Amino acid sequence: MKNWPAVKAVVGRELSKVFRQKGRLISSMVRPLIWLLVIGSGVGSMLQGEQQAGYLSFLVPGIVAMTLLFAALLSALTLVYDKEFGVMRMMLIAPIAHYWIVISKLIAATIIAMVQAVMLLVILLLLGLVEVQTALLLLIPASATAICCAAIGGLIAAWSKTLDNFAVIMNFFIFPLFFLSGALYPVSQLPEFLKYIVLINPFSYGVDLMKHAVPAATSDFSIVTDIAVLLSFSVVAIALACWRFSRESVHEPLFHRVSKKGG
Amino acid sequence: MAFKFAIQTSGLTKQYGQAVAVNKLDLNIQSGQFYGLLGPNGAGKSTTIHMLTTMTSPTFGDAFIAEQSVRDNPVAIRAAVGLVFQDSALDRMMTVDENLQFAAALYNLKPQQANERIDELLTIFGLEKKRHMKLVALSGGQRRAVDIARGVLHKPKVLFLDEPTIGLDLPNRRAIWRFVEQLRKEEGMTVFLTTHYLEEAVACDRVDFIQKGQLQYGGAPNALIRDLAAYILEIDCADTEVVNRALGPQFGEPIWEDEHLTFRVKDKDVDFSALQRSLGDAVIAMQWRKPNLNDVYLWTVCPPQTGVVS
Repeated sequence: MKNWPAVKAVVGRELSKVFRQKGRLISSMVRPLIWLLVIGSGVGSMLQGEQQAGYLSFLVPGIVAMTLLFAALLSALTLVYDKEFGVMRMMLIAPIAHYWIVISKLIAATIIAMVQAVMLLVILLLLGLVEVQTALLLLIPASATAICCAAIGGLIAAWSKTLDNFAVIMNFFIFPLFFLSGALYPVSQLPEFLKYIVLINPFSYGVDLMKHAVPAATSDFSIVTDIAVLLSFSVVAIALACWRFSRESVHEPLFHRVSKKGG
Repeated sequence: MAFKFAIQTSGLTKQYGQAVAVNKLDLNIQSGQFYGLLGPNGAGKSTTIHMLTTMTSPTFGDAFIAEQSVRDNPVAIRAAVGLVFQDSALDRMMTVDENLQFAAALYNLKPQQANERIDELLTIFGLEKKRHMKLVALSGGQRRAVDIARGVLHKPKVLFLDEPTIGLDLPNRRAIWRFVEQLRKEEGMTVFLTTHYLEEAVACDRVDFIQKGQLQYGGAPNALIRDLAAYILEIDCADTEVVNRALGPQFGEPIWEDEHLTFRVKDKDVDFSALQRSLGDAVIAMQWRKPNLNDVYLWTVCPPQTGVVS
Protein backbone atom coordinates (compact mmCIF):
# COMPACT_ATOMS: atom_id res chain seq x y z
CA MET A 1 0.00 0.00 0.00
CA LYS A 2 1.70 3.17 -1.17
CA ASN A 3 0.06 5.35 1.51
CA TRP A 4 1.29 3.11 4.34
CA PRO A 5 4.46 5.16 5.16
CA ALA A 6 2.34 8.32 5.49
CA VAL A 7 -0.24 6.52 7.65
CA LYS A 8 2.56 5.10 9.80
CA ALA A 9 4.09 8.57 10.14
CA VAL A 10 0.83 10.20 11.27
CA VAL A 11 0.07 7.37 13.70
CA GLY A 12 3.67 7.38 14.97
CA ARG A 13 3.58 11.13 15.57
CA GLU A 14 0.36 10.84 17.61
CA LEU A 15 1.65 7.94 19.69
CA SER A 16 5.02 9.54 20.38
CA LYS A 17 3.29 12.75 21.50
CA VAL A 18 1.00 10.85 23.89
CA PHE A 19 3.72 8.62 25.33
CA ARG A 20 5.89 11.68 25.88
CA GLN A 21 3.11 13.17 28.05
CA LYS A 22 3.32 10.62 30.86
CA GLY A 23 1.33 12.92 33.14
CA ARG A 24 -1.57 12.85 30.68
CA LEU A 25 -1.52 9.06 30.60
CA ILE A 26 -1.41 8.75 34.38
CA SER A 27 -4.09 11.39 34.95
CA SER A 28 -6.34 9.63 32.45
CA MET A 29 -6.61 6.84 35.03
CA VAL A 30 -7.93 9.18 37.72
CA ARG A 31 -11.38 9.78 36.17
CA PRO A 32 -12.38 6.10 35.77
CA LEU A 33 -10.99 5.18 39.18
CA ILE A 34 -12.98 7.99 40.82
CA TRP A 35 -16.11 6.78 39.07
CA LEU A 36 -15.46 3.21 40.02
CA LEU A 37 -14.28 3.64 43.59
CA VAL A 38 -16.17 6.74 44.71
CA ILE A 39 -19.41 6.67 42.71
CA GLY A 40 -19.41 2.88 42.56
CA SER A 41 -18.91 2.51 46.31
CA GLY A 42 -21.39 5.31 47.04
CA VAL A 43 -24.19 3.90 44.91
CA GLY A 44 -23.21 0.36 45.93
CA SER A 45 -23.64 1.25 49.61
CA MET A 46 -27.35 1.88 48.95
CA LEU A 47 -27.71 -1.68 47.71
CA GLN A 48 -27.96 -4.78 49.88
CA GLY A 49 -25.69 -7.83 50.27
CA GLU A 50 -24.63 -9.50 47.01
CA GLN A 51 -26.06 -6.64 45.00
CA GLN A 52 -23.59 -4.31 46.72
CA ALA A 53 -20.51 -6.36 45.70
CA GLY A 54 -22.02 -7.02 42.27
CA TYR A 55 -22.46 -3.34 41.45
CA LEU A 56 -18.71 -2.71 41.33
CA SER A 57 -18.28 -5.65 38.94
CA PHE A 58 -21.25 -4.37 36.93
CA LEU A 59 -19.51 -1.00 36.61
CA VAL A 60 -16.21 -2.44 35.30
CA PRO A 61 -17.18 -2.72 31.60
CA GLY A 62 -18.87 0.69 31.69
CA ILE A 63 -15.84 2.32 33.30
CA VAL A 64 -13.45 0.69 30.81
CA ALA A 65 -15.75 1.87 28.02
CA MET A 66 -15.74 5.36 29.52
CA THR A 67 -11.94 5.35 29.41
CA LEU A 68 -12.09 4.35 25.75
CA LEU A 69 -14.64 7.07 24.99
CA PHE A 70 -12.67 9.90 26.61
CA ALA A 71 -9.30 8.72 25.27
CA ALA A 72 -10.53 8.24 21.70
CA LEU A 73 -12.46 11.51 21.60
CA LEU A 74 -9.55 13.49 23.02
CA SER A 75 -7.17 11.85 20.56
CA ALA A 76 -9.47 12.72 17.68
CA LEU A 77 -9.17 16.29 19.00
CA THR A 78 -5.71 16.38 17.40
CA LEU A 79 -7.47 16.71 14.02
CA VAL A 80 -8.78 20.06 15.24
CA TYR A 81 -5.57 20.90 17.13
CA ASP A 82 -3.46 20.39 14.01
CA LYS A 83 -5.87 22.53 11.99
CA GLU A 84 -5.79 25.27 14.61
CA PHE A 85 -2.00 25.34 14.92
CA GLY A 86 -1.32 25.07 11.19
CA VAL A 87 0.46 21.69 11.32
CA MET A 88 -2.37 20.17 9.32
CA ARG A 89 -1.08 22.05 6.27
CA MET A 90 2.05 19.89 6.35
CA MET A 91 -0.20 16.86 5.91
CA LEU A 92 -2.58 18.48 3.42
CA ILE A 93 0.28 19.35 1.05
CA ALA A 94 1.63 15.78 1.18
CA PRO A 95 0.94 13.50 -1.80
CA ILE A 96 -1.80 11.47 -0.13
CA ALA A 97 -5.57 11.68 -0.49
CA HIS A 98 -6.82 13.78 2.41
CA TYR A 99 -9.08 11.08 3.81
CA TRP A 100 -5.94 9.10 4.74
CA ILE A 101 -5.18 11.81 7.29
CA VAL A 102 -8.51 11.10 9.01
CA ILE A 103 -8.01 7.34 8.84
CA SER A 104 -4.49 7.64 10.28
CA LYS A 105 -5.68 9.89 13.09
CA LEU A 106 -8.49 7.47 13.95
CA ILE A 107 -6.10 4.49 13.95
CA ALA A 108 -3.94 6.46 16.40
CA ALA A 109 -7.00 7.37 18.51
CA THR A 110 -8.02 3.69 18.66
CA ILE A 111 -4.53 2.59 19.73
CA ILE A 112 -4.26 5.33 22.36
CA ALA A 113 -7.70 4.42 23.73
CA MET A 114 -6.70 0.76 23.92
CA VAL A 115 -3.44 1.59 25.70
CA GLN A 116 -5.38 3.50 28.35
CA ALA A 117 -7.92 0.68 28.65
CA VAL A 118 -5.09 -1.82 29.19
CA MET A 119 -3.54 0.46 31.83
CA LEU A 120 -6.90 0.66 33.61
CA LEU A 121 -7.40 -3.11 33.45
CA VAL A 122 -3.96 -3.65 35.00
CA ILE A 123 -4.93 -1.32 37.87
CA LEU A 124 -8.26 -3.13 38.27
CA LEU A 125 -6.39 -6.44 38.33
CA LEU A 126 -4.09 -5.14 41.05
CA LEU A 127 -7.12 -3.93 43.04
CA GLY A 128 -8.69 -7.34 42.65
CA LEU A 129 -11.74 -5.94 40.86
CA VAL A 130 -11.35 -8.19 37.78
CA GLU A 131 -9.97 -11.64 37.14
CA VAL A 132 -7.07 -12.10 34.68
CA GLN A 133 -9.31 -14.11 32.34
CA THR A 134 -12.01 -11.43 32.37
CA ALA A 135 -9.46 -8.68 31.75
CA LEU A 136 -8.03 -10.51 28.75
CA LEU A 137 -11.49 -11.30 27.43
CA LEU A 138 -12.51 -7.62 27.80
CA LEU A 139 -9.76 -6.59 25.38
CA ILE A 140 -11.68 -8.09 22.45
CA PRO A 141 -14.93 -6.06 22.83
CA ALA A 142 -12.82 -3.09 23.98
CA SER A 143 -11.13 -3.04 20.56
CA ALA A 144 -14.47 -2.82 18.76
CA THR A 145 -15.67 -0.15 21.21
CA ALA A 146 -12.42 1.82 20.77
CA ILE A 147 -12.92 1.91 17.00
CA CYS A 148 -16.51 3.10 17.50
CA CYS A 149 -15.38 5.83 19.94
CA ALA A 150 -12.63 6.96 17.56
CA ALA A 151 -15.23 7.11 14.79
CA ILE A 152 -17.47 9.30 16.99
CA GLY A 153 -14.46 11.53 17.72
CA GLY A 154 -13.57 11.72 14.03
CA LEU A 155 -17.13 12.67 13.16
CA ILE A 156 -17.17 15.46 15.75
CA ALA A 157 -13.66 16.68 14.83
CA ALA A 158 -14.44 16.79 11.13
CA TRP A 159 -17.29 19.19 11.83
CA SER A 160 -15.37 21.31 14.37
CA LYS A 161 -13.71 24.45 13.14
CA THR A 162 -11.84 25.43 16.27
CA LEU A 163 -10.75 23.89 19.56
CA ASP A 164 -13.38 25.96 21.40
CA ASN A 165 -16.04 24.57 19.14
CA PHE A 166 -14.76 21.04 19.73
CA ALA A 167 -14.83 21.50 23.52
CA VAL A 168 -18.48 22.60 23.36
CA ILE A 169 -19.38 19.65 21.16
CA MET A 170 -17.45 17.29 23.43
CA ASN A 171 -19.45 18.41 26.45
CA PHE A 172 -22.66 18.28 24.46
CA PHE A 173 -21.99 14.71 23.29
CA ILE A 174 -19.69 13.01 25.74
CA PHE A 175 -21.88 13.04 28.84
CA PRO A 176 -25.12 12.04 27.08
CA LEU A 177 -23.19 9.30 25.27
CA PHE A 178 -21.86 7.99 28.57
CA PHE A 179 -24.87 8.42 30.86
CA LEU A 180 -27.31 7.05 28.28
CA SER A 181 -25.34 3.96 27.43
CA GLY A 182 -26.18 1.57 30.23
CA ALA A 183 -22.66 1.96 31.63
CA LEU A 184 -23.90 2.90 35.10
CA TYR A 185 -27.21 1.04 35.29
CA PRO A 186 -29.01 -1.69 33.36
CA VAL A 187 -30.91 -0.32 30.36
CA SER A 188 -33.97 -2.35 31.37
CA GLN A 189 -34.33 -0.22 34.52
CA LEU A 190 -34.42 3.09 32.66
CA PRO A 191 -37.69 4.97 31.96
CA GLU A 192 -39.21 4.06 28.59
CA PHE A 193 -38.35 7.32 26.77
CA LEU A 194 -34.68 7.08 27.84
CA LYS A 195 -34.51 3.52 26.53
CA TYR A 196 -35.10 4.85 23.02
CA ILE A 197 -32.18 7.21 23.40
CA VAL A 198 -29.99 4.35 24.61
CA LEU A 199 -31.05 2.37 21.56
CA ILE A 200 -29.86 5.05 19.14
CA ASN A 201 -26.61 5.64 21.05
CA PRO A 202 -23.88 3.59 19.31
CA PHE A 203 -21.74 3.70 22.46
CA SER A 204 -24.45 1.65 24.28
CA TYR A 205 -23.62 -1.31 22.08
CA GLY A 206 -19.91 -1.01 22.92
CA VAL A 207 -20.70 -1.00 26.63
CA ASP A 208 -23.09 -3.90 26.14
CA LEU A 209 -20.54 -5.92 24.16
CA MET A 210 -18.10 -5.46 27.02
CA LYS A 211 -20.73 -6.58 29.53
CA HIS A 212 -20.80 -9.92 27.71
CA ALA A 213 -17.18 -10.43 28.85
CA VAL A 214 -17.96 -9.77 32.53
CA PRO A 215 -19.90 -12.55 34.29
CA ALA A 216 -21.46 -10.21 36.90
CA ALA A 217 -22.80 -7.75 34.32
CA THR A 218 -26.11 -8.34 32.58
CA SER A 219 -26.18 -7.40 28.93
CA ASP A 220 -29.20 -5.95 27.16
CA PHE A 221 -28.52 -6.95 23.54
CA SER A 222 -27.08 -10.00 21.80
CA ILE A 223 -23.39 -10.12 20.81
CA VAL A 224 -24.42 -10.19 17.13
CA THR A 225 -26.52 -7.04 17.55
CA ASP A 226 -23.70 -5.27 19.39
CA ILE A 227 -21.09 -6.16 16.76
CA ALA A 228 -23.40 -5.37 13.84
CA VAL A 229 -24.29 -1.93 15.22
CA LEU A 230 -20.70 -1.07 16.22
CA LEU A 231 -19.33 -2.18 12.88
CA SER A 232 -21.92 -0.48 10.71
CA PHE A 233 -21.87 2.73 12.77
CA SER A 234 -18.06 2.87 12.67
CA VAL A 235 -17.94 2.35 8.90
CA VAL A 236 -20.58 5.01 8.25
CA ALA A 237 -19.08 7.50 10.74
CA ILE A 238 -15.53 7.09 9.42
CA ALA A 239 -16.78 7.41 5.84
CA LEU A 240 -18.69 10.60 6.76
CA ALA A 241 -15.67 12.04 8.60
CA CYS A 242 -13.43 11.27 5.60
CA TRP A 243 -15.92 12.81 3.19
CA ARG A 244 -16.33 15.89 5.30
CA PHE A 245 -12.59 16.33 5.87
CA SER A 246 -11.82 15.88 2.17
CA ARG A 247 -14.07 18.80 1.33
CA GLU A 248 -12.07 21.82 0.34
CA SER A 249 -14.32 24.16 2.28
CA VAL A 250 -13.26 22.47 5.52
CA HIS A 251 -9.54 23.17 5.24
CA GLU A 252 -9.77 26.29 3.09
CA PRO A 253 -10.02 28.56 6.19
CA LEU A 254 -6.55 27.26 7.14
CA PHE A 255 -5.16 28.96 4.08
CA HIS A 256 -7.43 31.97 4.15
CA ARG A 257 -6.31 32.80 7.66
CA VAL A 258 -2.85 33.23 6.21
CA SER A 259 -3.94 34.72 2.90
CA LYS A 260 -5.69 37.55 4.69
CA LYS A 261 -2.30 38.56 6.05
CA GLY A 262 -0.46 38.47 2.79
CA GLY A 263 -2.68 38.30 -0.25
CA MET B 1 11.64 13.95 -17.67
CA ALA B 2 12.35 17.57 -18.66
CA PHE B 3 9.47 19.92 -19.35
CA LYS B 4 9.68 23.21 -21.17
CA PHE B 5 7.15 24.76 -18.84
CA ALA B 6 7.12 23.88 -15.16
CA ILE B 7 3.91 25.87 -14.63
CA GLN B 8 1.20 26.80 -17.11
CA THR B 9 -2.16 28.32 -16.37
CA SER B 10 -4.99 29.05 -18.69
CA GLY B 11 -7.81 31.36 -17.65
CA LEU B 12 -7.20 30.40 -14.04
CA THR B 13 -9.94 31.98 -11.95
CA LYS B 14 -10.99 31.73 -8.32
CA GLN B 15 -14.22 33.17 -7.03
CA TYR B 16 -15.52 33.23 -3.48
CA GLY B 17 -19.19 33.99 -3.93
CA GLN B 18 -19.30 37.28 -5.81
CA ALA B 19 -15.68 38.17 -4.99
CA VAL B 20 -13.10 37.35 -7.65
CA ALA B 21 -9.77 36.57 -5.97
CA VAL B 22 -7.92 35.59 -9.16
CA ASN B 23 -9.20 36.57 -12.56
CA LYS B 24 -8.31 34.72 -15.80
CA LEU B 25 -4.64 34.23 -15.01
CA ASP B 26 -2.46 33.04 -17.90
CA LEU B 27 1.08 32.05 -16.95
CA ASN B 28 3.86 30.19 -18.73
CA ILE B 29 6.81 29.64 -16.41
CA GLN B 30 9.77 27.78 -17.84
CA SER B 31 11.46 24.93 -16.00
CA GLY B 32 14.29 26.14 -13.78
CA GLN B 33 13.01 29.71 -13.81
CA PHE B 34 12.94 31.86 -10.67
CA TYR B 35 9.57 33.54 -10.96
CA GLY B 36 8.09 36.24 -8.75
CA LEU B 37 4.42 37.14 -8.43
CA LEU B 38 4.32 40.51 -6.73
CA GLY B 39 1.54 42.64 -5.42
CA PRO B 40 -0.11 44.16 -2.37
CA ASN B 41 -2.06 42.29 0.30
CA GLY B 42 -5.20 40.73 -1.10
CA ALA B 43 -3.99 40.92 -4.70
CA GLY B 44 -4.48 37.18 -5.26
CA LYS B 45 -0.89 35.95 -4.86
CA SER B 46 -1.54 33.33 -2.20
CA THR B 47 -4.79 32.20 -3.80
CA THR B 48 -2.84 31.60 -7.01
CA ILE B 49 -0.29 29.50 -5.12
CA HIS B 50 -3.03 27.57 -3.38
CA MET B 51 -4.65 26.71 -6.70
CA LEU B 52 -1.30 25.68 -8.19
CA THR B 53 -0.59 23.39 -5.23
CA THR B 54 -4.14 21.87 -5.14
CA MET B 55 -4.92 23.40 -1.75
CA THR B 56 -7.90 25.07 -3.34
CA SER B 57 -9.53 24.31 -6.66
CA PRO B 58 -10.01 26.79 -9.48
CA THR B 59 -13.51 28.06 -10.18
CA PHE B 60 -12.69 28.31 -13.89
CA GLY B 61 -9.69 27.52 -16.05
CA ASP B 62 -6.94 25.06 -15.34
CA ALA B 63 -3.31 24.93 -14.29
CA PHE B 64 -0.60 22.46 -15.13
CA ILE B 65 2.49 21.60 -13.11
CA ALA B 66 4.99 19.60 -15.16
CA GLU B 67 2.18 19.04 -17.67
CA GLN B 68 -0.22 17.53 -15.10
CA SER B 69 -3.55 19.19 -14.44
CA VAL B 70 -4.25 20.41 -10.91
CA ARG B 71 -7.85 19.41 -11.48
CA ASP B 72 -7.22 15.85 -12.64
CA ASN B 73 -4.26 14.72 -10.62
CA PRO B 74 -3.95 16.54 -7.28
CA VAL B 75 -1.96 13.81 -5.51
CA ALA B 76 0.65 13.68 -8.32
CA ILE B 77 0.83 17.49 -8.28
CA ARG B 78 1.48 17.49 -4.54
CA ALA B 79 4.33 15.00 -5.07
CA ALA B 80 5.86 17.35 -7.65
CA VAL B 81 5.67 20.56 -5.66
CA GLY B 82 7.04 21.90 -2.40
CA LEU B 83 5.16 24.66 -0.61
CA VAL B 84 6.55 26.93 2.07
CA PHE B 85 3.64 28.69 3.72
CA GLN B 86 3.58 32.25 4.98
CA ASP B 87 3.71 31.05 8.57
CA SER B 88 5.25 27.88 9.87
CA ALA B 89 3.47 24.58 9.27
CA LEU B 90 5.83 22.76 11.62
CA ASP B 91 5.02 21.33 15.03
CA ARG B 92 6.73 23.59 17.53
CA MET B 93 6.73 20.94 20.22
CA MET B 94 8.67 18.49 18.07
CA THR B 95 12.39 18.67 17.32
CA VAL B 96 13.81 19.76 13.98
CA ASP B 97 14.68 16.14 13.23
CA GLU B 98 11.23 14.83 14.22
CA ASN B 99 9.50 17.43 12.06
CA LEU B 100 11.65 16.67 9.05
CA GLN B 101 11.43 12.89 9.55
CA PHE B 102 7.66 13.25 9.72
CA ALA B 103 7.57 15.29 6.52
CA ALA B 104 9.93 12.81 4.83
CA ALA B 105 7.63 9.93 5.72
CA LEU B 106 4.65 11.83 4.31
CA TYR B 107 6.58 11.99 1.03
CA ASN B 108 7.38 8.29 1.22
CA LEU B 109 11.15 8.78 1.56
CA LYS B 110 12.96 5.70 2.87
CA PRO B 111 14.62 6.22 6.30
CA GLN B 112 18.18 6.21 4.94
CA GLN B 113 17.21 8.49 2.06
CA ALA B 114 15.46 10.81 4.55
CA ASN B 115 18.44 10.91 6.92
CA GLU B 116 20.86 11.74 4.11
CA ARG B 117 18.61 14.47 2.77
CA ILE B 118 18.04 15.97 6.23
CA ASP B 119 21.82 15.97 6.84
CA GLU B 120 22.36 17.67 3.51
CA LEU B 121 19.73 20.37 4.06
CA LEU B 122 20.65 21.12 7.66
CA THR B 123 24.25 21.56 6.50
CA ILE B 124 23.16 24.02 3.80
CA PHE B 125 21.13 25.94 6.38
CA GLY B 126 23.85 25.69 9.07
CA LEU B 127 21.45 23.96 11.44
CA GLU B 128 23.34 20.68 12.03
CA LYS B 129 23.72 21.43 15.74
CA LYS B 130 20.03 22.30 16.13
CA ARG B 131 18.82 18.98 14.74
CA HIS B 132 17.61 17.61 18.06
CA MET B 133 16.28 20.87 19.45
CA LYS B 134 12.58 21.61 19.65
CA LEU B 135 11.31 24.12 17.11
CA VAL B 136 10.10 26.34 19.91
CA ALA B 137 13.74 26.89 20.98
CA LEU B 138 14.82 28.15 17.55
CA SER B 139 14.89 31.75 16.33
CA GLY B 140 12.34 32.94 13.76
CA GLY B 141 14.92 32.76 10.97
CA GLN B 142 16.01 29.26 11.94
CA ARG B 143 12.40 28.07 12.05
CA ARG B 144 11.86 29.55 8.59
CA ALA B 145 14.94 27.72 7.34
CA VAL B 146 13.54 24.45 8.71
CA ASP B 147 10.25 25.26 6.96
CA ILE B 148 12.08 25.66 3.68
CA ALA B 149 14.03 22.46 4.33
CA ARG B 150 10.68 20.73 4.82
CA GLY B 151 9.44 22.15 1.55
CA VAL B 152 12.38 20.81 -0.46
CA LEU B 153 12.98 17.50 1.35
CA HIS B 154 11.52 15.49 -1.52
CA LYS B 155 13.37 17.49 -4.20
CA PRO B 156 10.23 18.97 -5.77
CA LYS B 157 10.16 20.05 -9.39
CA VAL B 158 8.61 23.35 -8.35
CA LEU B 159 9.13 25.11 -5.04
CA PHE B 160 6.45 27.62 -4.04
CA LEU B 161 7.57 30.24 -1.55
CA ASP B 162 4.60 32.18 -0.23
CA GLU B 163 6.01 35.33 1.41
CA PRO B 164 8.91 33.31 2.84
CA THR B 165 10.57 36.19 4.68
CA ILE B 166 7.49 37.79 6.18
CA GLY B 167 8.10 38.86 9.77
CA LEU B 168 11.87 38.23 9.61
CA ASP B 169 14.56 40.79 10.33
CA LEU B 170 17.02 41.82 7.62
CA PRO B 171 19.90 39.43 8.48
CA ASN B 172 17.49 36.48 8.56
CA ARG B 173 15.87 37.58 5.30
CA ARG B 174 19.26 37.75 3.64
CA ALA B 175 20.18 34.33 5.02
CA ILE B 176 16.95 32.83 3.67
CA TRP B 177 17.69 34.19 0.19
CA ARG B 178 21.21 32.78 0.32
CA PHE B 179 19.73 29.36 1.10
CA VAL B 180 17.18 29.62 -1.70
CA GLU B 181 19.90 30.67 -4.16
CA GLN B 182 22.09 27.77 -3.09
CA LEU B 183 19.18 25.32 -3.46
CA ARG B 184 18.43 26.66 -6.92
CA LYS B 185 22.05 26.32 -8.01
CA GLU B 186 22.44 22.82 -6.61
CA GLU B 187 19.07 21.36 -7.49
CA GLY B 188 17.92 23.44 -10.44
CA MET B 189 14.33 23.59 -9.24
CA THR B 190 11.77 26.04 -10.53
CA VAL B 191 10.96 28.58 -7.82
CA PHE B 192 7.66 30.46 -7.66
CA LEU B 193 7.87 33.31 -5.19
CA THR B 194 5.26 35.68 -3.84
CA THR B 195 6.33 38.62 -1.77
CA HIS B 196 5.49 42.19 -1.07
CA TYR B 197 9.10 42.94 -0.15
CA LEU B 198 9.63 43.87 -3.78
CA GLU B 199 13.37 44.48 -3.47
CA GLU B 200 13.75 40.76 -2.72
CA ALA B 201 12.41 39.85 -6.14
CA VAL B 202 15.29 41.44 -8.08
CA ALA B 203 17.00 38.03 -8.21
CA CYS B 204 14.00 36.59 -10.11
CA ASP B 205 14.30 35.76 -13.80
CA ARG B 206 10.86 37.24 -14.31
CA VAL B 207 8.33 39.03 -12.17
CA ASP B 208 4.68 39.85 -12.73
CA PHE B 209 2.69 42.40 -10.78
CA ILE B 210 -0.79 41.30 -9.79
CA GLN B 211 -3.54 43.60 -8.60
CA LYS B 212 -7.13 42.65 -7.78
CA GLY B 213 -6.51 39.16 -9.13
CA GLN B 214 -5.28 40.29 -12.54
CA LEU B 215 -1.77 40.45 -13.98
CA GLN B 216 -0.82 44.04 -14.62
CA TYR B 217 2.72 44.25 -15.81
CA GLY B 218 5.77 42.01 -15.95
CA GLY B 219 9.20 41.18 -17.27
CA ALA B 220 12.78 40.68 -16.15
CA PRO B 221 13.28 42.84 -13.03
CA ASN B 222 16.38 44.65 -14.30
CA ALA B 223 14.72 45.37 -17.63
CA LEU B 224 11.61 46.69 -15.87
CA ILE B 225 13.77 48.96 -13.72
CA ARG B 226 15.84 50.10 -16.70
CA ASP B 227 12.70 50.84 -18.71
CA LEU B 228 11.15 52.81 -15.87
CA ALA B 229 13.82 55.51 -15.47
CA ALA B 230 17.48 56.30 -15.07
CA TYR B 231 16.84 58.08 -11.76
CA ILE B 232 14.07 58.65 -9.29
CA LEU B 233 13.95 62.24 -8.10
CA GLU B 234 12.28 62.92 -4.76
CA ILE B 235 11.55 66.46 -3.64
CA ASP B 236 10.20 67.83 -0.38
CA CYS B 237 8.54 71.00 -1.59
CA ALA B 238 7.80 74.34 0.00
CA ASP B 239 5.56 74.98 -3.02
CA THR B 240 4.44 71.86 -4.90
CA GLU B 241 2.70 73.86 -7.65
CA VAL B 242 5.89 75.74 -8.54
CA VAL B 243 7.97 72.55 -8.57
CA ASN B 244 5.40 70.64 -10.61
CA ARG B 245 5.07 73.49 -13.14
CA ALA B 246 8.86 73.64 -13.48
CA LEU B 247 9.63 69.93 -13.71
CA GLY B 248 6.40 68.41 -15.02
CA PRO B 249 6.99 69.31 -18.69
CA GLN B 250 10.50 67.81 -18.51
CA PHE B 251 9.91 64.65 -16.43
CA GLY B 252 6.18 64.00 -16.72
CA GLU B 253 3.54 63.75 -14.04
CA PRO B 254 4.93 63.08 -10.55
CA ILE B 255 3.58 60.97 -7.70
CA TRP B 256 2.08 63.32 -5.13
CA GLU B 257 2.29 62.54 -1.44
CA ASP B 258 1.28 65.75 0.39
CA GLU B 259 4.26 68.11 -0.04
CA HIS B 260 6.47 65.35 -1.42
CA LEU B 261 6.80 64.92 -5.20
CA THR B 262 8.47 61.98 -6.92
CA PHE B 263 9.53 62.20 -10.56
CA ARG B 264 11.03 59.59 -12.81
CA VAL B 265 13.95 60.85 -14.81
CA LYS B 266 14.73 59.02 -18.05
CA ASP B 267 17.66 61.23 -19.02
CA LYS B 268 20.94 59.90 -17.58
CA ASP B 269 22.74 63.24 -17.87
CA VAL B 270 20.59 65.55 -15.79
CA ASP B 271 22.52 67.97 -13.56
CA PHE B 272 20.47 67.64 -10.36
CA SER B 273 22.49 70.22 -8.43
CA ALA B 274 21.79 72.85 -11.07
CA LEU B 275 18.16 71.79 -11.11
CA GLN B 276 17.89 72.25 -7.35
CA ARG B 277 19.46 75.68 -7.57
CA SER B 278 17.00 76.68 -10.32
CA LEU B 279 14.02 75.79 -8.13
CA GLY B 280 15.25 78.04 -5.33
CA ASP B 281 13.01 78.36 -2.27
CA ALA B 282 10.29 76.13 -3.73
CA VAL B 283 12.41 73.12 -2.67
CA ILE B 284 13.12 72.17 0.95
CA ALA B 285 15.13 69.04 0.17
CA MET B 286 15.87 67.02 -2.94
CA GLN B 287 17.42 63.61 -3.53
CA TRP B 288 17.95 61.42 -6.55
CA ARG B 289 18.68 57.72 -6.63
CA LYS B 290 18.61 54.67 -8.89
CA PRO B 291 15.12 53.18 -9.32
CA ASN B 292 14.13 49.78 -7.91
CA LEU B 293 11.21 47.37 -8.17
CA ASN B 294 9.20 49.35 -5.62
CA ASP B 295 9.33 52.27 -8.07
CA VAL B 296 8.26 50.00 -10.93
CA TYR B 297 5.29 48.92 -8.84
CA LEU B 298 4.38 52.48 -7.87
CA TRP B 299 4.64 53.84 -11.40
CA THR B 300 3.14 50.98 -13.36
CA VAL B 301 0.66 49.20 -11.11
CA CYS B 302 -0.44 52.17 -9.03
CA PRO B 303 -0.87 55.15 -11.39
CA PRO B 304 0.68 58.42 -10.11
CA GLN B 305 -2.60 59.94 -8.89
CA THR B 306 -3.23 56.93 -6.69
CA GLY B 307 0.38 56.21 -5.89
CA VAL B 308 0.10 57.09 -2.24
CA VAL B 309 1.12 54.04 -0.26
CA SER B 310 0.35 53.73 3.40
